[in-house]
Amino acid sequence: MAVLEFTKPLQDRFLELTKEWKSKTRHLSNVAQISLVFPYQMIIGMGPSVVPLILKELEKEPDHWFWALEAITGENPVTGIEAGDVEASAKAWIRWGKQNGFTPK
Amino acid sequence: MNLRDLFPRLTDENCEITSPRTIKYNCIAWTAGAMDRWWQPGVHWPVNSSRNDHGIGNLVEAFLALGYEECENGTLEDGFEKVAFYGSGMMYTHAARQISDGRWTSKLGQLEDIVHATVDALSGGDYGEVLQYMRREIAERV
Repeated sequence: MAVLEFTKPLQDRFLELTKEWKSKTRHLSNVAQISLVFPYQMIIGMGPSVVPLILKELEKEPDHWFWALEAITGENPVTGIEAGDVEASAKAWIRWGKQNGFTPK
Repeated sequence: MNLRDLFPRLTDENCEITSPRTIKYNCIAWTAGAMDRWWQPGVHWPVNSSRNDHGIGNLVEAFLALGYEECENGTLEDGFEKVAFYGSGMMYTHAARQISDGRWTSKLGQLEDIVHATVDALSGGDYGEVLQYMRREIAERV
């Protein structure tokens, strides 16, 4: 089985893809359209090792990372009252990350 | 990147920015008159819906529930407010609402709200084309 090797450190690659994703999707409203662009799919393909990096990004700036986080982890900590509230959803994921050891408490 | 890079048909003459940027709400919420949520099927949506249904039909269902009916075009009509839904393929991409002078107001993703002279000003590119118009009677003010 082929092993994917990153030519750059994980964090650099993640930040590069994040920048590209944000520049291509800031004007979009449909989360499916936002999530189906290539850099976002590449980030999902990087797997659980990017979860701490995504959570760190969410702490800096709320954005539509929820699809990627759910796809990678199989979890969804956003409650009904928080659904659709991007800032509250970001906080729910940050809290989940702390509870599950992805970020320092 | 400025708006004209994203929407080649926008010009200084046919577009006016009317709000600061925010991720709090999107074009669907704005078109429905809400500014507190990002409206998304199966997450925050006026009707029960699968999270995976991003089709133009699901958007029409949502606005039927808000009292709109399908109509033929975006011509200004006395007594009605109109909305326009853009799509690419079968996926909805954007919604805009007509204002009283016949122009349109749009929220551009997590960027600003704008007023644009015609629906065509945002057509082409990532938004595709207008696929559906709907209208709702304007309630008389007492």
